[in-house]
Amino acid sequence: MTTTTTHGGQAASPRTAPDAPGRRTPGGFAGAVASEWTKLWSVRAAYLCLLAGLAITGVFTFYYASIARINDHPVQPVGNAAAASAVISQFAVVILATVAVTSEYSTGSVRATLLWVPRRHRVHAAKALVTAVVAFLSGAVFALVGTAVAWGAFDGRASLDIGTTVQQILAVGAYQALVAVLTVGVAFATRHPAGALSILITLLWALPSVLLGLGGDTFTAVNDHLPHGAGDHFMHVGADAPYTSATAILIVVAWAAAAHLIGLFVLRRTDA
Amino acid sequence: MISLRGLTKRYGGTLAVDDLTFDIQTGRVTGFLGPNGAGKSTTMRMILGLDHPTRGRALIAGRPYADLRRPLRAVGAMLDARAVHPARSGRTHLVAQARANGIPVRRVDEVLETVGLTKAARRPAGTYSLGMSGRLGVAGALLGDPPVLILDEPVNGLDPDGVRWIRRLVRDQAAEGRTVFLSSHLMSEMQLTADHLVIIGRGRLLSDTSMTDFLAAASPASARASVPDPEQRATLVRRLMAIDGVSVETSADGELTVEGSTAAEVGDLAHHCGVRLHGLSDIRVSLEQAYMDLTARSVEYATGGTAERGRQ
Repeated sequence: MTTTTTHGGQAASPRTAPDAPGRRTPGGFAGAVASEWTKLWSVRAAYLCLLAGLAITGVFTFYYASIARINDHPVQPVGNAAAASAVISQFAVVILATVAVTSEYSTGSVRATLLWVPRRHRVHAAKALVTAVVAFLSGAVFALVGTAVAWGAFDGRASLDIGTTVQQILAVGAYQALVAVLTVGVAFATRHPAGALSILITLLWALPSVLLGLGGDTFTAVNDHLPHGAGDHFMHVGADAPYTSATAILIVVAWAAAAHLIGLFVLRRTDA
Repeated sequence: MISLRGLTKRYGGTLAVDDLTFDIQTGRVTGFLGPNGAGKSTTMRMILGLDHPTRGRALIAGRPYADLRRPLRAVGAMLDARAVHPARSGRTHLVAQARANGIPVRRVDEVLETVGLTKAARRPAGTYSLGMSGRLGVAGALLGDPPVLILDEPVNGLDPDGVRWIRRLVRDQAAEGRTVFLSSHLMSEMQLTADHLVIIGRGRLLSDTSMTDFLAAASPASARASVPDPEQRATLVRRLMAIDGVSVETSADGELTVEGSTAAEVGDLAHHCGVRLHGLSDIRVSLEQAYMDLTARSVEYATGGTAERGRQ
């Protein structure tokens, strides 16, 4: 193996040093992220989810603001409409992130992915990061559009403070990013879209609805420690929260981290 | 080089792969044979880090697959050609693959050209025929220009042209000094392609030999000779029959089938007696036949499952 050349006419360096460290070109985590990014945008599902999320936000914020106006609610920060819309628009992120994982299992392409990036924690982290970045940016854009729609529909029943509004828009983005991480973890743990979606819909919507519907201090306190209950406390401004915004974020982070670790545990243990 | 050491995979109560130990050498094509369910794909998946061995290990150039930072530059693999997202184009699939290992994207177009998929490259992979999917799989295996190729049933679904193309490609890769490990159900194809054979049955190693030795061991020396002159034919038959352990059959058209002697020996003897020959060749058992003999024996032997386990 000294001076062989390949059909491409290139030097045979890959053969003599197949895995030499210190190449300029990235592999490892950077490569895994680039690969996941390419895969995400190469199928229509991602675009459809984001489009749906945008439409849902527009409709929701319009109604939220219109109801506040019609019912003469007290003046509130305009960003609250977008913050409230996350209860529905989070499912655009949930579906996007679920499909990004489970479609690989249903098509068998997860084997290809693990051949390209054999370190499973790296695959898992890359998927979580890519969907989180997309969820953050799209969540912030949804919130920005939703705030603009709501401003028109509030027609004076809302206050506009640039600092607060920007903060709320970023808070929605951050919440959506954490939902993406949570979803990727659940999806890797279940491997099937039906299982993942039932868990996530229960956790993020059905359970909170039931708890708040039943009312009472205990149920409300439980809901305050669920991902959306806590997320709502740092996206919403003006409502009384049982803890600080920092604590609220940490609760959502804890949920996302727990789901991530469970997903990783399953992914590492099982055969592909 | 790929080394397997005591590689074992147990699913519940069944041993899919049972204590496999062998090396796959550089610079030659190693064929991987075995009946359905013998554990070939499981073995390949374990070599590639997709399945976790119950015991033992598989190393590529001394390292587990999962420890390779840019594995596609070290090993090119094709397991299931259909395992591609159907909505993703073949080219995008390869671009995502290239980016994962820092392979320049222009290399994607090179391998698409190599496998003859340039025209279909931007179509969704779900619209590909089985043969086209196979070509995409091979393109993926070649992408990182790796020194090791692992191909599971690469000729599956290919037309005769495609089969020849794979054969030539695989031979070329081995001639360039690469390690090629491939499985196939097509025995005639394997006979033309592989230099070395690893045969497993019921997860156990049955044979790890060169193709030549395997065929030679399976077929006792025998030769076919054509002698035009009847008198000389009779002389040769008489002289051959005089040798211990040699028997001769004469067909209606005067062709001799000599068992227990090689063509070289028959030729030497004919020359010695001044017998004119019109044809002389060794009779070889085909790989298919030799393989069937071996696996038939192993299946019989394996059917006595309890006895087999008792030996361990």
